Amino acid sequence: MSGSPGAGRSRIVTWAVVGLCLGLAGALAWAMLDLPAPSTRLPGQVAAQLERSGVEHPVTAVLLNFRGYDTLLEIAVLLLALLGMLAAGVAPRASAPLGASSMLAALARALAPLMVLVAGYLLWAGAFRPGGAFQAGAVLAAAGVLLRLAGFLPAWTRPGAALRMALAAGFALFLAIAALGLTEGALLRYPEPSAGALILAIESGLTFSLGLILAGLFLAGPELPRREDGGGTP
Amino acid sequence: MPTPEAFDPLPWLILLPLAWATAAFALGPGRGARLAIAGLAAQLALALILAGQVLAGGARAHAVGGWGAPLGIDLMVDGLAALMLLMTAVVALPIAIYARGYFRARPKGGEWFWPLAGFLVAALDALFLAADLFNLYVTLELLGLAAVGLTAAAGDRAAVAAGLRYLLATLLGSGAYLLGVALLYGAHGSVSLTVLAPAVAADPAPAAALALALVVAGMALKTALFPFHFWLPPAHGGAASPVSALLSALVIKASFYLLLRLWLDLFAPLVSVSAAQLLGLLGAGAILWGSALALVQTRLKMLVAYSTVAQIGYLFLLFPLATGVSATAAEAAVQGGVMQALSHALAKAAMFAAAGGMIVAVGRDDIARLGGIAGRVPLTLFTFGLAGVTLMGLPPSGGFSAKWLLLMAALESGQWWWVVVMVVGGLLAAAYVFKVLRQAFPPAEPGDLVHRVPRAMEWSGFALAVGGILLGLFGAGPLALLAV
Repeated sequence: MSGSPGAGRSRIVTWAVVGLCLGLAGALAWAMLDLPAPSTRLPGQVAAQLERSGVEHPVTAVLLNFRGYDTLLEIAVLLLALLGMLAAGVAPRASAPLGASSMLAALARALAPLMVLVAGYLLWAGAFRPGGAFQAGAVLAAAGVLLRLAGFLPAWTRPGAALRMALAAGFALFLAIAALGLTEGALLRYPEPSAGALILAIESGLTFSLGLILAGLFLAGPELPRREDGGGTP
Repeated sequence: MPTPEAFDPLPWLILLPLAWATAAFALGPGRGARLAIAGLAAQLALALILAGQVLAGGARAHAVGGWGAPLGIDLMVDGLAALMLLMTAVVALPIAIYARGYFRARPKGGEWFWPLAGFLVAALDALFLAADLFNLYVTLELLGLAAVGLTAAAGDRAAVAAGLRYLLATLLGSGAYLLGVALLYGAHGSVSLTVLAPAVAADPAPAAALALALVVAGMALKTALFPFHFWLPPAHGGAASPVSALLSALVIKASFYLLLRLWLDLFAPLVSVSAAQLLGLLGAGAILWGSALALVQTRLKMLVAYSTVAQIGYLFLLFPLATGVSATAAEAAVQGGVMQALSHALAKAAMFAAAGGMIVAVGRDDIARLGGIAGRVPLTLFTFGLAGVTLMGLPPSGGFSAKWLLLMAALESGQWWWVVVMVVGGLLAAAYVFKVLRQAFPPAEPGDLVHRVPRAMEWSGFALAVGGILLGLFGAGPLALLAV
């Protein structure tokens, strides 16, 4: 193909992109070498207000209290990602059931309960050490994917009413608590003595729904024909 | 400032659409239309109350969580934000009424329209109220994903391809923006606009200049400024008509608003006349190229989509006309640019609504075969024409006021070359609008059925087109709000 005008043009485009990237990298390096000393130091402010936040871990305090509003919208983004997939009717290839071997089935049976346990621990640990709803939800979702691969869970061709409510429940609870804050004078303002309890409630709801949403990104889509050679019944 | 007892509509403008979007999702495919229309009617009332409060009491902030910036996130409303919130509600309510009729006639792609539209409207409101660079990023992502979901929902291969292309463009745009935000956070330790603005002014580090370049490039891509418009026509032209209306009227205005706000405020100490002239030049390119391509389209909705590419160009004429010029010229330029955003929102929503109506009537999207439209669905054709009046910039429409103000700014600052572009753009707009009208008057060819269009669809589109005209007659109100 070399020598044709199309190839020549695509080579020019490639070099233009490479040049642009190098230019951006150079500009970034130049900017990084000349960074001023920041006039605001947020970690200090977080530490100073930590005991009013209702939790002991600064990351959880930022995510669920100081910048909880960002997290609220991020959950909407995740729900929206699944919704967009349902709307487009895109079936992920990976949702084809594997020919579940008895080894995989046995492993999934053994691991799934443990993964639920780990998710519960991560949720609880988030209050005072790294952990929280996102991590716990990811582990739950991984359990869902494993069960799907082992053929224990069906693909979601069309999520039913109960499943849709479960998917939306975490976000809806977060939204309701955000609105409740208005009685305290501002969106998402927790009454100080119950801040810890409210954050735990939000995180529990999120763990449950995030687990489903993240698993849904894998499970949603039409059921593909089962492979005959695999054997193994769900 | 309202008294503590006074009702504050500001947080509800975000909570309400999020709530009905979630409820519509739980209700299931194809459900939630009535919920959405009720929610949007309430949203219009909230936006009106908020605009009244801002007009009377000035700009104000709402500290989410009660922490206050820079530890927490502040929401901020001023005249410009209040105007954009009003624009969102005024356009989205008729579109929702229209969509209910449209998806009854053509159910394809409407299964998840209501929850997606709810998240889209919530993202717009949240973006217009944001005063924090990272929070703005989150709202951009929410908006982009909702818009992509709506584009891809038409379900066929072309729609998914257009949606994917849109997704990649919008992700690249927000990626560039996020890199800019990271640089500013690294340099000044905050993402709050109120904290950053004085810090950037006091010490304009190279990081801030690079951040400006990245933010401008990212927003130009998201707003589909020529030559970054490649993703827009297939996405806006291929989606279902109510979706096209939402995308063209509102979604591209969000990234434009963000750019305008940062250009006038945070980056004001850094912007240069040459950068502004470059944006203006791209805007001029958009006007000429978009109009020329609109003129050669054979599909009705692609014509309207290329018209959007052209009309975006006028928005960007604001930058050269408002940078490095006298205060009078700059004020007229900003007024003209915002007026253009508002009038284009109304007119383009009306025009896509009318195009959708014609497609329902004749059952296809072919400009050469619109015969019989004038006789069977005259109101829809009249809507298309009225929207065209605003896009051409004829008096007494909002489009005329916008172009008049931009013209004044150009003459005041001695930049006559933009006047030439605007006049040529207006003539080209007239040419592509008449191309459609001309085809709609002859009677239908024998054997071609022209169906009636549901009345709710016809009248909601008509209301939007009339809104575009009224904006020209009663433009003083919005301009007074903008001055707050």
